[in-house]
Amino acid sequence: MLILIAEDDELILRTVEHKLVKEGHEVVLTRNGREAIEKINELNLDLVVTDIMMPFASGIEILSAIKSIGKKIPVIVLSSMGQEEVVVDAFDLGASDFMVKPFSPNELILRIKRLINK
Amino acid sequence: MHHHIELHELILAIVIVLILVLLLIITVLGYSFYSYRILHNRQSWRQIIEYKIMETIVGGDENGDRDLEFAKYLKEPSFRALFLDVLVDSDRKFSGGAKQSINRLFHDFKLEDEAWRKLRHRKAYLVAGGVQELAAMNVEPAIPEITDKLNDPRTAVYQEAQYAIVSFKGYEGLGFLDHFDRPLSDWQQLRLLFSIHEIPELSELHVDTWLKSSNDSVVVFTLRLIRKFRLMTFYTEVFSLLDHPSTKVRVQAIRTLQAIENSGTIQQFMQNFDLQPIGVQIEILKAMKIAKSRESEYFLKDQLWNHNQVSIKISAAEVLVVLGEEQYLREISQREDTYDELTQIIKHALQEKKC
Repeated sequence: MLILIAEDDELILRTVEHKLVKEGHEVVLTRNGREAIEKINELNLDLVVTDIMMPFASGIEILSAIKSIGKKIPVIVLSSMGQEEVVVDAFDLGASDFMVKPFSPNELILRIKRLINK
Repeated sequence: MHHHIELHELILAIVIVLILVLLLIITVLGYSFYSYRILHNRQSWRQIIEYKIMETIVGGDENGDRDLEFAKYLKEPSFRALFLDVLVDSDRKFSGGAKQSINRLFHDFKLEDEAWRKLRHRKAYLVAGGVQELAAMNVEPAIPEITDKLNDPRTAVYQEAQYAIVSFKGYEGLGFLDHFDRPLSDWQQLRLLFSIHEIPELSELHVDTWLKSSNDSVVVFTLRLIRKFRLMTFYTEVFSLLDHPSTKVRVQAIRTLQAIENSGTIQQFMQNFDLQPIGVQIEILKAMKIAKSRESEYFLKDQLWNHNQVSIKISAAEVLVVLGEEQYLREISQREDTYDELTQIIKHALQEKKC
């Protein structure tokens, strides 16, 4: 499975990447929203994991971009405490699931598995 | 008597000035190079540390060479300090097994000693750092010393101690509020609120005592706490705060009443409205906007026509729009006897709805 991770925190990005590679997935890393939107347009992704707050374009803009091009890609949103309203917006735009930071990478992997197997 | 400057004296002076300038340039360059080295080291060290943390979380393959290199760096005090910083920072990002892995690193590399040393330092920022690190890594034996820091006169220290005690004990850590007489900043209140996940039923701490505190910031915090956990049983105590001397407390009381509202809340707001200053009246109207209760319709129309403050008229018109009274507002704005100001207010409210 080809999974895109959009996250500007290097430690989170690398940790999730290694976990996913260990699970046998192919991973594309992006450190800002604009780069993520470009990859979404270019590649045939199976799933996207995105942070809400990122440089250049937010997770919400990424969701809008996915919606506008008509691709049906499951998206898991990573948010921080106090971003409940943004998470509601994310679900309106088609997010499949969300996790609040601090989060457990193991739980994220389980949620990814669940979405992929759907 | 005039002293003429000789040519050789002038040359000597110029040479001295040039030497001084040169020394200054060398010092600046040396310092810049030193700063660059520190920055460069920190960046590369951070990468090494983050890799170590990631490797521990993921449970990666053991790499003997890299471990040896890491052990070599650990002898450097500034590397250990950065390691501790990055660990504490990482601890905020992860939960579950990953958090435990970070905690294990802290103990395995004996960074606890570093944190204890900071806790016992004289400088406030180091003490605060030590408190933060020991709390983040859940070092419970540090609780008594951190509790002592709750009475420290230095803001950075006592604020960090409050946060740490609440991180350790949850709601039970709020006992310091009983006698706290300094201002609790909004930021500190939010940090504390985020750290409390539940209120135990059998707690010996009494929310009603804090509501009666002479420290307004403690009252405001308690109101936020009641709001967060929807503590309906304190409705009467919160309502009585509408007579509080501080407007800030009254505003928070309105927000809290709205959050724990019952069937009589809107009626009570309407009865109390005229007794309140403008800031509180606006808050009452905001609460009515959220409640969307038709009970307030005639009251709002009365405020729109008769209140002497434009801000209240605007807020009342906005609530009427939310209640679906657009037609009524359009009609009165088109009537010839409606004064210009009211027409403008209504247009503004209807425009807000469109936006």
